[in-house]
Parts: sequence; C-alpha cells; structure tokens
Amino acid sequence: MEHRRKKILKAAFTLSCAFLLIVLGSGLWAAPKLIQSAKGGNCAACHTDQPALSQSHPDTKDMNLEACRACHTRENMDLTGKLPASHMHLLGGVSCEACHGKTNKPEETPMEKCVACHGPTAKLAEKTKDVKPTNPHTSPHYGTELDCNLCHHQHKKSENYCAQCHSFDFKTP
Amino acid sequence: MKKGDVTEKTLSRRGFLKTAGGAAAVAGFAAGGLGFPSQAQAGPDALPKKWDETCDVLVVGSGFAGLAAAIEAKEAGASVMVLEKMPTHGGNSIINGGVMAVVGSDMQEARGIKDSPDLMLADMMKAGLDMNYPELAKMVAYQSKDAYDWCKQHIGVKFTDPKMLLHMGGHTVARSCPTSIYSGSEIVNKELAKFKELGGTVTTRTYLEKLIRHANGRVVGAQIRTGYRFPDAGSGKVKFVKVKKGVVLASGGFSQDVAFRMTQAPNLVAEVNSTNQPGATAEVLKEAFRVGGNPVQVSWIQLGPWASPDEKGFGLAPHFATGPVFSYGIMVDPKTGKRFISELADRKIRADAIIRTGHAAIGISDDEGQKSCGGPPGTVGKLVERGVVKKFDTLEELSKAYDMPYAAVKESVDNYNSYLKTGTDKEFGRYLQPDAKPIEKAPFYAVRLWPKVHHTMGGVQINTSAQVIGLDGKPIEGLYAAGEVAGGVHGAVRLGSVAVVDCLVFGRIAGKSVAKMKAWS
Repeated sequence: MEHRRKKILKAAFTLSCAFLLIVLGSGLWAAPKLIQSAKGGNCAACHTDQPALSQSHPDTKDMNLEACRACHTRENMDLTGKLPASHMHLLGGVSCEACHGKTNKPEETPMEKCVACHGPTAKLAEKTKDVKPTNPHTSPHYGTELDCNLCHHQHKKSENYCAQCHSFDFKTP
Repeated sequence: MKKGDVTEKTLSRRGFLKTAGGAAAVAGFAAGGLGFPSQAQAGPDALPKKWDETCDVLVVGSGFAGLAAAIEAKEAGASVMVLEKMPTHGGNSIINGGVMAVVGSDMQEARGIKDSPDLMLADMMKAGLDMNYPELAKMVAYQSKDAYDWCKQHIGVKFTDPKMLLHMGGHTVARSCPTSIYSGSEIVNKELAKFKELGGTVTTRTYLEKLIRHANGRVVGAQIRTGYRFPDAGSGKVKFVKVKKGVVLASGGFSQDVAFRMTQAPNLVAEVNSTNQPGATAEVLKEAFRVGGNPVQVSWIQLGPWASPDEKGFGLAPHFATGPVFSYGIMVDPKTGKRFISELADRKIRADAIIRTGHAAIGISDDEGQKSCGGPPGTVGKLVERGVVKKFDTLEELSKAYDMPYAAVKESVDNYNSYLKTGTDKEFGRYLQPDAKPIEKAPFYAVRLWPKVHHTMGGVQINTSAQVIGLDGKPIEGLYAAGEVAGGVHGAVRLGSVAVVDCLVFGRIAGKSVAKMKAWS
C-alpha cells in the first residue's frame, strides 16, 4: 500500500515537472531567472523573455544606483516602490550572496542581516518620526521590532503590513 | 463491513474503534486523519515513523492565554514550545484594546468603588443569559484580582491612573482597568519578555496542522508546518513534534473565518466586517473537534456595538464610543433622532438594536463628554483628523450633517440632561455616571456606529483545570484549551474587558495543569 502510494506520488511529481518545463519553454509564463552573478544594471541577464525597460531607456548595463538616481530623483520619476528592493540592493553593490550566503539553495534572510547594514531599528524609527500619517517604524503593538521583511519584500512588490487593520497610506520602498 | 451493515455493535464507540479504526490503521497514515468525521468519538491517529522534535508542553498561539500558559509551564520546570502561525507574535491580543475587568483592583480602591467577585459573576451570567458554565465563569470572577496582580507584579504591566477606570456596558460598577497604552500589547509584550527571560522562544510562521491522538486516547503529539505562509494551507515544511505532557490550544477565536462563521451564523457574510486580525480563523478549533472535543455554543458570535464603519478593524472609535458616547453622551437613530436602547446595555443587546434599525447609529457627545475618551494620547484629535468623529459648533449643525430631525435630537438631549438631574433614565433605565454633566457645551461631537464581528464566545469544552472535555464527557488526556478557543465562560454574551482576564486566568491554569501531567515516553 505504502509502496504503491509512493509510486503514484513519484509519477505525479514527474508529470508536474514535465508540465512546468513545457509551460516555461513555451514562454506562456516565464519568471525572470535569478542569475546570481548578474550585475544590477544588466537587466537582460535575468529578464530573458521580455525586456524589463522600454527601448527608449538609456542602456543600464554599466549603471549603479547612483547613476540611476541621476535621472530618478525623489521628486522626478521616483523609483520608490517601482523596482523590487533586491534590484536596489544589487544596483547599490549588495550581491545576492551578501544576504543569502554562497549557496545554490538560498534561504530566507533573517532581519538581523538587514540591521547589520542598515543599523538599529530604534535609530531608523527616529529618522522617520515625522512621516505622515504616523511613523511606520514603531507602533504600540510591536515597538520598533516588527520584521523588516513583512513590508520590505525583496523579490516581490513591497507591502504595507499595517494596512491589514489600519488605513495608513504608506508608500513602501 | 458491508455498506448498510450498521449494527448496534459497530455504532458503539468500542466497536467503532475496533472495526473502522482498525481498518484505518491497516490502510496507513492517510486514512488516520480523515476517516472519522462527526462520529461519536474520533478514531486514533497513526503515529509518525519518527518524531522531529520533542517537548513537554506544546502551546498553540502566542496571545494572552498562550503566553500565560507558556510562562506557568516553564516556571514549573517543563520544556515548552510555542507555535504562532502568523509572522508576528501576539495574535489578536496584540491589537486588543488592553482593558481588563478586575474585582478589587487598586484602581477601584482609589476610586472608592465597592465590588465583589459574586457581583462580577452575576454580571457575566446576566449578559450570558445564564448559558455560561457557572464553574468556569466563577474561576474568572474570583481570580481576576490574582491575574491583575500577576500582570503588575510578576510581568511588569503598567495600568493607567485610577481616574481612567472604565465603566463598561453590562457591568454593575466601574471595574475595567486600561493598560497604560490602551493596548493588549502592553500585556502580551511583557509576557513575551518574561517568557524569553525564562529561556523560551515563540516560533512564528508555524502552523498546527494536526493533533495526534493515540489509540489509548491521549494526545501525544502534533503535525506542524514550519516556515508556513498564512494563509497558504500547503506552505512550509511538515514536522512531527512529540509532546510528552500535553498540548495547550490557545489559538483564539474565528471572527475572521467567514466560511466557518457562516456555518454557525449564516447572516455573518463576508460583507460584515470584523475587528480581528486576519489570522483569527477556525482551523485549530476544528482540529479540537476532530479529535473528539465537545463543541460548546459555537454559534454565539459577538458583534461590537462601538465600531465605526468609517475606519478599518477595531480602530479608535470604540474608545470614543465607550466613554464620551455610552457613558457621557447618547446614541440616537438618525431616522428618528431618538434614543432607542440603553447605551450601557450589554454588547449583544446594543448591536442587535443598531442592526434592527437597518443603518448606522449616531453617537453624540460634547466638549465635557469627550474628555472621558480613552485610548492613546490624542485619540479624539486623531479621530477628528481622520473624519471618523466629526466636530460641530451647534447641535443643529450636527443634526443636519447626518440628515437627522433637529427638533427630535434636541429633545433627546434635553431629556437625557433632565435625567441627570433626577438620577433616573426614564426611557431605558441606563446607569447615569455620578460625575456626568449635561450635554450642552460646544463643540459637539458625533460618530457613526455600525457593529463588527468581534468575539466568538463558543469553542471547545473545558473544565476548571482547562482540560478539553470530549464528547463522552471525560477529559481528553494531554489536551488543554484556554482563551477564546474554549467555550462556556461567557455563555451567550461576553462582557467588555472580560476576555483579557479570561485568557490570563485560564491560560495560567492550563500552564499549571499541563506541567503537572505525567510525561509519557
């Protein structure tokens, strides 16, 4: 009985893998590959299927975050919330390895890694104390210790975790 | 067993276990968890080939009750694991308003308020329509002071100045003590700090998928998922935890579980909002039922009458409604401009009365009344800024803004003001605050009130030792429950500020009881 079940599971697994390959191959759905060695400005290295930027955009291949910000200022064409945070990191010279270590199987990054570079949360909360409608980095519930990753996602669009219960209109980088 | 071959023998519990249960054991693991819905008693679960982790006590949930149980068990020398399915600790407790009903607190003493555990018990039973399990309600009323002292002295919780002691709906006297920051987080975070100080940790994003109940009837472990991502049922990695003393279910209520709550109360459709955090769902409660726990009063679901439709979740309006409106102001039906219920009736009576009108009620207060607003500093200002509470120079303007007949509103206010002079509310017999002043000083304030799903009174049955009781009326060995997941303490209606004390009292009882349990090996 157990043996048969395993066999069925194995067959199902192989089938679903095959299906996934077909789907990926046919270009119906193609998430960008995560090429660890790619430089931040080299969009085409990961975005093989569709160009990430319009044709009129200047070539970014040799750009870093500072170069992006020559045009994308806070006031004009702000990148906040536009680019996944992992891209900001890469462009700023923070490699995949810096957060995930040297591995083929990257694991989730604990908050301690964020704090190691970005500094203590209390200081951050002090910096954002005048943000309206309220300081996003401290709350009566969690103080300053809410995990950074709950809002600041790296590989998908960031979110406003407070919005589960509150109507704070934060623009989350 | 052939189809249709139902004999008395197969229906008896023992016979059932022998036949169906035996068949399941042969069929292997998959059948163990699925094959026994709604029978008189759940069948035994297959044991895993190997346990990944071992502990004495497994606590499910990290709110008031879970952490109280964890602290007590740990202090009694047990090894304790605390699971939290959400990415943050604290469950609904951490967004709770942080007000605790206590008999004989130093706050009552400072205010010269006479109270007794029997009076609190009588209040609980009255609101609960005598559906409360009296022995459970009694534990809460009689141990409220002990829980309060534990909060203050043992874990360092700070409460407000005695002058902010609240008189909440359905209570005969003022006995509700707000924490210094008007949030349950003041208690939960101090509990967590204490638990950490004792060497404990809360593992977030860890989901209880299944309790494992041995053929001998004892709950011996659990199947969990680590790295779980709410609400994806299949996410995370399956692990088996061997639990040597017992599992404490402290998973909270199911106010946000629309599908399950509609099985109990079909009118509570998705469009009816809730004050709770998104993780307030029913899966642990259902698991308690699956292993044979007795369901108690599950369809008694409470809506909060102090909620505003003009903000999300619990929000800040309840602070304004509780003091300025219900204690020092009035609530009217905008269609008639008249009061329609005692503003200090219990939650169910008030919520039902508002819903019966078919539209949001209008709470009215004035410059004197607004001073009684609880909540974090600046609450009234914030509410006005967000447009949840509105401010007017005259009562006439206020009436106009909500399309109310001014003459009727004026009459309602005048009547209330006259009751203050005579000391009797001739219309609804509401308790009038001795320090209340007439509603006459501008600016006037108004808030729209429309109930939200707030608390699920029902749950799994427990006894006074917080042991879960099975369908056969006997405790399920190795299984405990405390807080909102347990049923019976509040009966039909829970009084405001009694949830916090219920969670703390029964959480602590559960922790002490489970630690005393003999470990199996």
